[in-house]
Amino acid sequence: MKILSRTGCGGGNLRELWRLRLHAPLWGVVKRMKTKSGGTINNSKLFVALTALLLASVCNRDGGFAATPPLSLREHAPRATSVVLATNSATFNNRQILSDFADKVVIPTFQTFTGKASALSTAINAFTQHPNRQTLQAARTAWVEARSPWEQSECFGFGPVKDGGFDGNLDTWPIDENDIKQILASGDKLTSSYVEGLRESDKGFHVIEYLLFGTSGSKQPSDFTSRELEFLKLLGANFAQTAGDMTDSWVKGTKDGNPAYREVIATAGVKDNTTYPTLRSAAQEMIGGMLDSLDEVANSKIAKPFDKKDPNLAESRFSFNTLNDLKSNIRGSQNVYLGHFQPANTNGLGLTTFVAKVDPNLDAKVKQQFQAALEALNKIPAPFEKSALVPQNASTIKAAEDAVNTLHDTLDKEVKPLIGGAS
Amino acid sequence: MQSLLSKFFRAKSFRFIVVFFLTLVAAIALSGSLSHAQLPQQIPQAGGETTIFDRTSHGLQQPAANLTAAELTLHQDGDSTFEAVFVSAPAPVHAGLGATFNNTSCTACHINDGRGLPVKGNLLVRVSMPVSHPIAASQPVAAGGSNKYTSSIFELAQGSRGCWGRSHRPLHQPCRSRLRRTLESQPQASVTLGNVPPVPGLGTQIQDQALFGHQPKATVEISWQETSGTYGDGTAYRLRSPRLKITLPEGKPLPPQVLTSPRVPPPITGRGLLEAIPEPTLLALADPQDKNQDGISGRPNYVWDVQKKAKVLGRFGLKANNPHLLQQNATAFINDMGVTNPLFPDKDGSSYIDIATLKAVTFYTQTVGVPARTLLDDPLVQHGEKLFSQANCAACHISQLRTGDHPLKAVAYQSIHPYTDLLLHDMGPGLADGRPDFEASETEWRTPPLWGLGLTKTILPSAGYLHDGRARTLEEAILWHGGEAESAKQAFRAWAKSDREALLRFLTSL
Ligand code: HEC
Ligand code: HEC
Repeated sequence: MKILSRTGCGGGNLRELWRLRLHAPLWGVVKRMKTKSGGTINNSKLFVALTALLLASVCNRDGGFAATPPLSLREHAPRATSVVLATNSATFNNRQILSDFADKVVIPTFQTFTGKASALSTAINAFTQHPNRQTLQAARTAWVEARSPWEQSECFGFGPVKDGGFDGNLDTWPIDENDIKQILASGDKLTSSYVEGLRESDKGFHVIEYLLFGTSGSKQPSDFTSRELEFLKLLGANFAQTAGDMTDSWVKGTKDGNPAYREVIATAGVKDNTTYPTLRSAAQEMIGGMLDSLDEVANSKIAKPFDKKDPNLAESRFSFNTLNDLKSNIRGSQNVYLGHFQPANTNGLGLTTFVAKVDPNLDAKVKQQFQAALEALNKIPAPFEKSALVPQNASTIKAAEDAVNTLHDTLDKEVKPLIGGAS
Repeated sequence: MQSLLSKFFRAKSFRFIVVFFLTLVAAIALSGSLSHAQLPQQIPQAGGETTIFDRTSHGLQQPAANLTAAELTLHQDGDSTFEAVFVSAPAPVHAGLGATFNNTSCTACHINDGRGLPVKGNLLVRVSMPVSHPIAASQPVAAGGSNKYTSSIFELAQGSRGCWGRSHRPLHQPCRSRLRRTLESQPQASVTLGNVPPVPGLGTQIQDQALFGHQPKATVEISWQETSGTYGDGTAYRLRSPRLKITLPEGKPLPPQVLTSPRVPPPITGRGLLEAIPEPTLLALADPQDKNQDGISGRPNYVWDVQKKAKVLGRFGLKANNPHLLQQNATAFINDMGVTNPLFPDKDGSSYIDIATLKAVTFYTQTVGVPARTLLDDPLVQHGEKLFSQANCAACHISQLRTGDHPLKAVAYQSIHPYTDLLLHDMGPGLADGRPDFEASETEWRTPPLWGLGLTKTILPSAGYLHDGRARTLEEAILWHGGEAESAKQAFRAWAKSDREALLRFLTSL
């Protein structure tokens, strides 16, 4: 519900009263007065109450076709209505939730990912030097381990992650198998700048996955050509480098001079910050990222392979890791909500802090629904690439889809409006 | 009724009620005048009933607020295609890319449905021969503008190393008679009406990426040249403009007579509403002879509709060079991604995407909602809005229009605030690309809509403004205005710093 926020219409106060649903108690007063006095109405009280009630409703009707939610930008323009506003606990003004989002969730997730990306590159090097079962297994495990923090970061893949093309270079899906086969079959000299110049569909997570795991799940160390090993090694190094650059974009700033994104988030609402001109817009960004990721999990990553019964549509189909990816996606959103990243032992304020204060029941509901979504995913037999095709699993998979959608809708329809300032 | 009325009049509190209602009427009147006194303008629902409320990096990519459940499903279908990364055929998913192209998905260029960057993969270069050039004159022009295959090659682009063109040959098999094959098999839509003759071997757009084993049509390097200027108050500023270095295969430079036009992808938000603005409304805004002598003489472009096979009003593209979203998107598939589609099929009539897919993506581009403005109660923004009118920015960036009939109800008959007239304006030599486009001259550009402008850097911190992304800030974007917008620019230059800041703050509130 979008309501006009203005100092007009009774100095804004009545509008705020209406928004806070104080018209309900007002109406209650009117009714109680009627019953108490057995039909004889106390004129003066009724007069005041009715006037207030009707005026509030007039103001609201006005606001019905106007565009701004109330209280936008109080950070900038404190005004006469602040007395009323102060009683509105739903004003999002907790800067620490934003800085903790950057410092306790995003940066530790990216740093953990960068560490795992380097570990993957190292494991690939070890494998290419001594290709055997152990080294191959170690490289595959390193791939799966890098996948976990990366998929947990999906809900904050905005700002520099888009700007620097990091997302595309690290995780383009699908890969161009024909291109890769031809690169391998060609006599092109493989160098790090050659790999850097490749298209996004020819490098990153899923190309490494394709080469490390093969297409049938039965690739042996002896199946790797020397050219494949050479290519893999370069892909691993390129991947680790890109991961590091991406982390830098949040911590230090980018090579082309953009400031550390941590600062951009943490200074939301400060005068010169046009990226996030209000504290609320940055808080909304946190929610928007969760919504986007949850929607993708339910309606794309689960639904597409499942509806079409086509394992080719599964995200990590060469490694059979799709189900883990999905869980990591949910956990990533949960991290944003709770303000922590457990693998790095960081713990700060999350959106939960704000929601719990305004509406403890809603906070409990969100937490429970995160839990329910993860449990529903846990019930799907792994690997998803196979279980999605089995008719007996249909209800379990559908239940998981629904659980994620339910969580999505709660965040969208209840938490998002609570933060307000979406315009 | 009778008894109710009589009860009413007999009630003890009759006098009270009269007083009450009188007071109420007074209160309503007072509240109305109060709110009007303090509301400098009606609060704009930027996209009418499509308006969404989101000031985040997702703010330009939300479904219109007024879609039915069935429409929302179709929107989401279209969204999947908009986001799909295409790869070379054969492939289990999203097959049909290339062989040459600029990028592999719509969303890679229109990032989060916003704009793209002036970098390889986003910026694309339109090319053509001057009409007077002998090569152009001897070329059969793609009159009628149907699907034109890049059909002849001359020394411009000869001698590629790899295989060109769509190849359906089995993998690993070397390509035979590659030049001939290329020339015949790379479909490109060069929809022109004579004043932009395709460049032999290149067509009308440079595809600077290719599948492995194929040669990009050319490589494009962008460098920036800086110039400086000063405001009326003496404050210095710096502007930059791009220099393109275009190299054909085998290292040959692009012949100097070829006309080039670099363009960055614009946002696609709210485009369904723009499609629904009645033609008479736009024509009424036009003033080609500048009869009102305000120095501003917008005029419509007329372009080729490949289905109707007729000349119609242009609305889309940076020179209003496409008539409607279906054709806009079909040319995007064929030219930007090399994906054949029902409007621009392969020679045998087949195409990688079917009409349902093309229509779904088109529905998607019609139904992205416009974000509501922010910072409305910021006095600086309010002041900036007044200055926007005062400087006559609003003569081109029209702040309020009404849409008309449209097959899609959600965008029909909406009051919108697009800040565009969809007309062409001479923007002076500074912004000129030197390449005409249908009736658009070498100095003309379509007024871009400004709704959602404030989210540009929220989506992409290094995004630029204007047709080639040259303006790093909104300030620079204004300072590049010339031609018909010269006096608007001069007004801005002359203002005090505080006024300039107010205008900029207003722009970020959009
Ligand atoms: C290589 C980058 C690139 C890709 C890929 C791309 N576009 Fe575009 N798009 C552009 C550019 C540049 C323009 C402006 C074109 C012009 O001025 O002629 C544009 C214009 C548009 C417009 C018109 C917007 C306006 O304001 O008039 C729409 C709609 C659009 N593209 C949709 C799509 C769709 C749908 C796809 C995928 C099928 C797509 N684009 C793929 C770069 C791209
Ligand atoms: C004569 C018509 C005209 C007037 C007057 C005019 N503009 Fe523009 N504006 C344009 C056109 C055309 C472009 C696109 C130019 C280009 O891309 O090279 C543009 C581009 C812009 C852009 C960049 C938009 C984007 O998406 O990249 C901004 C911002 C802008 N104008 C603001 C203003 C302001 C502020 C004023 C008043 C000081 C103003 N304009 C006056 C026609 C006009």
